[in-house]
Amino acid sequence: MGEEVEAQMKRIEATKGVIGTLVVDPDGVPIRSTLDQSMTLQYAGQLRQLVILARSAVRDIDPQNDLSALRVRSKSNEIIVVTALVYIQSPSKV
Amino acid sequence: MSATGGKEEGKRRCPLLLRPASRTLNTSVSHGGPRGAHQRSRQTTSVLGCHSRRSFSLGGSKVLEKNVVQTPRQAVRVFDEENNDVTPQLLYQADPGAVQPMLFVDEISVGSASDQPTATGSFTLPFSRSVFGSSRISSQSTTESVDDEDMFSKRDIPLSFPDVKVKKDTEKEQVTEDMLKDITEVFISETDTFSLLDMPSTFVSVDADEAEATIARNHQYEEVCRNRVSRNKTVERSVQTLTGTTKNKHVQSNGLMVVDAATNVTICDMCEPLSDAEQEETAGICNPVKTDHSEGVTDSSRGADRSVSVGSTATTVSASGSLKEVEVKALNAEMEWELIMLSEKVQLYLQTVERSILQNSFHPQLAAYRQLPVLGDPESPVKNEIVEQRTGDTDGGPSLQCLWVFSCELSRGRSVSCMTWNRKNPDLLAVGHGEFNSGNQKPGLVSCWSIKNLKWPEHIVHCDSTVTALDFSANSPSQLAVGTHDGSITIHNVHSQDNRSHGVSSRDSPNRHLGPVWQLRWTRQEVSSTGEEKVEALLSVGADGRISKWFSFKDGLDCIDLMKLRRIQNTETKAGGKRTEMMTESVLTALTPGLCFDFHPTDSNIYLTGTWEGLIHQCSCSNSEQFLETYRKHFCPVNCVAWSPFNPDVFLSCSSDWTIQLWKQHHLKPVLGFISTQKAVYDIKWSPKWPTVFGAVNEGQLEIWDLSSSILDPVIVQPAAPGVRMTSLLFSSQADCVVVGDSDGHVTVYQLKNLSVGEQSQMRTQHDFIQSSLSVRQRANIKRAFFESGVL
Repeated sequence: MGEEVEAQMKRIEATKGVIGTLVVDPDGVPIRSTLDQSMTLQYAGQLRQLVILARSAVRDIDPQNDLSALRVRSKSNEIIVVTALVYIQSPSKV
Repeated sequence: MSATGGKEEGKRRCPLLLRPASRTLNTSVSHGGPRGAHQRSRQTTSVLGCHSRRSFSLGGSKVLEKNVVQTPRQAVRVFDEENNDVTPQLLYQADPGAVQPMLFVDEISVGSASDQPTATGSFTLPFSRSVFGSSRISSQSTTESVDDEDMFSKRDIPLSFPDVKVKKDTEKEQVTEDMLKDITEVFISETDTFSLLDMPSTFVSVDADEAEATIARNHQYEEVCRNRVSRNKTVERSVQTLTGTTKNKHVQSNGLMVVDAATNVTICDMCEPLSDAEQEETAGICNPVKTDHSEGVTDSSRGADRSVSVGSTATTVSASGSLKEVEVKALNAEMEWELIMLSEKVQLYLQTVERSILQNSFHPQLAAYRQLPVLGDPESPVKNEIVEQRTGDTDGGPSLQCLWVFSCELSRGRSVSCMTWNRKNPDLLAVGHGEFNSGNQKPGLVSCWSIKNLKWPEHIVHCDSTVTALDFSANSPSQLAVGTHDGSITIHNVHSQDNRSHGVSSRDSPNRHLGPVWQLRWTRQEVSSTGEEKVEALLSVGADGRISKWFSFKDGLDCIDLMKLRRIQNTETKAGGKRTEMMTESVLTALTPGLCFDFHPTDSNIYLTGTWEGLIHQCSCSNSEQFLETYRKHFCPVNCVAWSPFNPDVFLSCSSDWTIQLWKQHHLKPVLGFISTQKAVYDIKWSPKWPTVFGAVNEGQLEIWDLSSSILDPVIVQPAAPGVRMTSLLFSSQADCVVVGDSDGHVTVYQLKNLSVGEQSQMRTQHDFIQSSLSVRQRANIKRAFFESGVL
């Protein structure tokens, strides 16, 4: 199971248009990342609060529900957050 | 006014005789008495004032500042010269109806009795009256003698007055039970201030005549004051309160550590511990911030999604420990990652991420597949190009547009042998791979692709040998039956994550196919009894010439044979003759391999099967001995047969003899034949949307035929990539798309564009020209047969 996840991660990282991936533990400390240090810390710090906010919003409305994914699309790129995992992607210019 | 004046005035007036009884000094003040009485008494007071002054003049006018309060006890009657009784009236005229608080009088008088001596003055006489007063009080009757009342102190004393006296006696009996029961209202209010005694001091000038007399009197008075036995009971005395000495004491204690803790509590925070109390992962929830990171790691796999929500609590304690935590975490990061990788949820998340990423990349294509309009993004110029391109396409005739290609490194190089859509999820496509060329068995592969993930299959199944047939079950949509080259049929569960798992297999069955399984089908056979539930049966046709019905038996599959495809001697077609189907009784009742079969769309009992010989047999499930019909036309193996989904009488067949034949049921000769290239046609499928459209795949190209427009040429021709053979074809039921598999392992999705419109009319046209062509064909049959035989 573990190697499949590893393979999947590698596939995602190799997908065209993906700038980098970032794995953050529940406390906000990055575990592994394909970005440089400063960007990693920046993204980890900024997105943690956003995820908490989004999750609390979802769960306040329905406590049985839970946040599964959060996507932030901006002018220059898109950030896809999957609970504890954070992904960053550039605009899709195939 | 001066004393002299007063005196003179007094003297001028009729000298008042003072009875030695007492001087009345009406200084009583009552509370609650009637106004009129007060006023009256006031008036008398003024008069009295004079008298009092006068009376005081006996002792000499003194400069007295004090308000002397004394009341002579004895009744005093004052008469003036004319013996008028000018006894001043009492200040207080008791209200006859008022309840007299007798007790109060008692108290006060007793008290005042003691205070009596305080009155300073030169009047010792009245002091004797203290006894008098008290005796008076004790008995009401004696108050008569003391018509003037009272003595007084500075307090208010309700007095009993003589004139009122009698009334009081009578009234006293009247205060009976009834009166007691009545609720009386007592109004207590502050009375006006009375001036009891106002004795302004008089001044005598030194030069006056009476100066000496006044001075003498003053001296005399002073002597009296001195000589007087002081009965003043007040003693001046000072008291000192001792303050205790203070003592300083120091106490030392441990400082209280104050921790500020704040938290935002949301509904989910409250809900979560309740719901998780039953689960085992309470440990991870209870302590949101842990300096001990190892615990967090073990729970992170399951708790990874949970612990973030609990992290909303913030404590100042954690801030100090965070540095330590970071160090600890850096070491454990790798370990944590390992554990994270093992969780199933993470895989799901990654899947989601991958899909969303790819969806972004392939947005226009997916939108085209889903037949959604692509919203133009004004900021990115790329999409505009695509939109323009698409508009350019609409101008032309029918065409194919390649949307995307399903391919991954696993499947690359392995030829596609078969494809099938999932019955329930139209996004799921199962593709079977395998090599056909070489004799040795190479392991096959089944890859299940999803529209959502274009880059990697959802599910991969490795098989021992080349996969030759696939079908998804309709009743349980996750079951995939895989037929392989070695004749075994395996049923896999697509949901299972484990790729190595082997489903139920017929490998060990004694009845398994001896040759490759060329086609599989799950069919719903109607239950005869009730007809409610359609039992699904797996049927297969194999190279050993058997059509078998499989069911699970013990741990594997077992089958019963529905039909054996006996070889029919391929005699030359005689002109005008209709061959009777004679089973040769020869020893070599060999079975001919069946390559394909297809079930009737409405009657699942009837099926067609194409054989290696080129014959198409129509059979029934209930009859396992005989064919119902045999359609002869092809002289090469029939690769595929397909009933038309719109017209249950019509079916198509294609074979390696480069031809496609259109048949009508019970007509033993084909209605139409199509030939375009001189290549073997591998696959043929009807379009689910248009009745006159079908697609065919031969070695070199993909052809889309539209019978309503042309029966000679395909409407769309898509050549294969060089060096690649197209091997299989599928129409998509959701979109106007065609899925083509080729020998390189690629599965390409094409979108049909600009095909003819008007489905209703198509039905009719199909019907019509079939009829017409049928008649034509029948006439030209002979000619054709002749022609073909000539070619051969």
